[in-house]
Amino acid sequence: MIDPKLASAAETFTLQCVINKRPVSVDVPPAKRLLCILREDLHLTGTKRSCDIGRCGACMVLVDGKPVNSCLTMAYQCQGKNITTIEGLAADGALNRVQKCFLEEGGYQCGYCTPGMIVTVTALLNKNPEPSMAEIEEALSGNLCRCTGYGGIIRSVLKAAEQGGRRHAGRHESA
Amino acid sequence: MVLRHEEILQSPSVWRPRTPEEAVARKRALGADAVFAAGGTLLRTRWEAGTEAIPRHLIDLGSIEGLSGIWLQDGDLAIGALTALDDCLNDPLLGRHAPIVAQAIRTIAGWSVRNVATIGGNIVSRTGDSLPALLAADASLVWIGEDGERTEKLADWLSEPIPDRARVRLLAQVRIPLGGDDSIANAKRFFAFHKVGRREAFTPSLVTVALCGSLEPDGRLTGIRISAGGGQTVPARLKRAEELLTGRMPDPDALGEVYEQVAADYAPAPDPFAPDMYRKLTAANLVVTELWKLTAAGEAAGGKEGAPCR
Ligand SMILES: Cc1cc2nc3c(=O)[nH]c(=O)nc-3n(C[C@H](O)[C@H](O)[C@H](O)COP(=O)(O)OP(=O)(O)OC[C@H]3O[C@@H](n4cnc5c(N)ncnc54)[C@H](O)[C@@H]3O)c2cc1C
Ligand code: FES
Ligand code: FES
Repeated sequence: MIDPKLASAAETFTLQCVINKRPVSVDVPPAKRLLCILREDLHLTGTKRSCDIGRCGACMVLVDGKPVNSCLTMAYQCQGKNITTIEGLAADGALNRVQKCFLEEGGYQCGYCTPGMIVTVTALLNKNPEPSMAEIEEALSGNLCRCTGYGGIIRSVLKAAEQGGRRHAGRHESA
Repeated sequence: MVLRHEEILQSPSVWRPRTPEEAVARKRALGADAVFAAGGTLLRTRWEAGTEAIPRHLIDLGSIEGLSGIWLQDGDLAIGALTALDDCLNDPLLGRHAPIVAQAIRTIAGWSVRNVATIGGNIVSRTGDSLPALLAADASLVWIGEDGERTEKLADWLSEPIPDRARVRLLAQVRIPLGGDDSIANAKRFFAFHKVGRREAFTPSLVTVALCGSLEPDGRLTGIRISAGGGQTVPARLKRAEELLTGRMPDPDALGEVYEQVAADYAPAPDPFAPDMYRKLTAANLVVTELWKLTAAGEAAGGKEGAPCR
C-alpha cells in the first residue's frame, strides 16, 4: 500500500512530530529541509544555517536523542519523531549544564556555531558521560568554529563532563 | 499555512512504498523522474553541488520494513541496506565478524551524518569509503529487482564499467562470509584499513586501502585480499599484488615486488589537488607497511610506533 497522503505530497503534507516536547502539526512540502521548517515555519531561529551540506554543524538538532544535521533532513524523515532544538535544551529558561559551562569557560566568541556545538556536546555527554579527549575531538569533528580555535570549547566540554561525573559519583555515594 | 509557490515546484513528491517490490514497480512506472532515497545525505550533497537536479519524485526506501538490521544467516553476516552507519558501528555482530568494515565505517563523515546515512547508500554510490573494506571482506550484494532477488559479488558489480541505468533494482542486503574461508586452524588472521584525507576526521578520502589475509604457522601468506579506492575512484581488488604474495613469506623481496605492483595497478580517479603519483605511492606504502608489521622486524618495532625519527 502506498500512503496516499504522501503519494500526492507535492501539494500538501502534514508533518506531525514532537518538537521540544510540544506536539507540532505543520503543512510543508514533504522534502522541505527540517532546518527551514524550524526557522521559517516555526520561527525557532536558534538553529543556525551556514553550509547547507552537512559539513559545519551549525544546524545540529537532536532527532530521537541523536544529533542530526537539520540541513540534510527532510520533512518526511521527521514524521512521528521526537525533535529537540537548542531552544528545548534550556527548559523554562534554565540553562543546562553544557550551556553554563560554555558561558563560564568562554566556549564561544561570535556565537554562531554555539547552538550546534551545545546540541552535539549534550548528546555526547548523554551517550558517554566521561569521554576521552579523542572521543571529544571525534564527536565534535562535524562542528566547525571559525572564532575560538577550539580551546575554550574543549575546556567547556571537559568541565561539563567533570561536573556530570561528580554528580554521578555523588549519587553513587548517597545511594 | 500558505506554501510559497517555488517551494512547491522545487519539492519532489515522496512515495513511501511498504515492500521492495512496490518500490521497484513505482520506480519502473515513474522512470527517470524518480530516485530511490535512503538517508538522502549523498543526494542532498549532489543537489546542492548542482551535479544532479532535484528529481520530481523521491521513493523513500526507509519506509520498507525488513531492510535494516544486522543478523547471521546461512553462514554469512547479513547487513540490511537501510541500516544507518552509526547503527552498524553500535552492532556487536559487525564488530565481531567484520571488524575491518566497522573500522572503515568509523571514518565516514561524522557522527551526525552517520546517524542518517545508510550503508546501502554508501555502497550504491560506488565510491563510498566502506567499499574497500567490504571488498577485502569478500562481500556480496543482494538485489531485489523486477526479476526477483539476485546475489552478486561486490567485486563483480564494481568492475562493471557503467551500471545499466535502465535496470530497476534496489539493494536489500550486503552479505559478508563468516570466518576465514581459506585459512587453516592455526593461521593468524590479519586485517587493516586506512583512509588518507586532508585532515584526521570528517574528511573526504584521497586514498583508501584495505587488506586481509592469514599468516600460516610456517610464515607463509594465504587468503590475501587487497583493495584500494579513495576520492572519486571506484574501488577495486589489486589481484596481481594478491597473487604475488600468495604462498610467500612477507620478506623484503616480496614486499619490494608488492610495492611496485600496487603502485602500478592502483588507478586513482584524477584529483586536481592530489597527483596520481602521490596517491599511488601512498597506497603502496600503506599496503607494504601493513605486511611488514607481520614480520619479526615489524613486530619488534611495533612498540616504537610513533617514536620521533633521529
Ligand atoms: C557532510 C558529508 C560528509 C560525507 N563524508 C563521507 C565520507 O567520509 N565517506 C563516504 O564514503 N561518504 C561520505 N559522504 C557521502 C554519504 O553520506 C555516504 O556515502 C552515505 O553512506 C550515503 O548514504 P545515504 O543513505 O544518505 O544515501 P542516499 O543519499 O539516500 O543515496 C545515495 C545514492 O544511492 C542510491 N541508493 C541508496 N540506497 C539504495 C538502495 N538500498 N538501493 C538502491 N539504490 C540506493 C540513491 O538513489 C542515490 O543515488 C558524506 C556526505 C556528507 C553530507
Ligand atoms: S548548515 Fe547544516 S551542517 Fe552546515
Ligand atoms: S564562536 Fe564564532 S564560529 Fe564559533
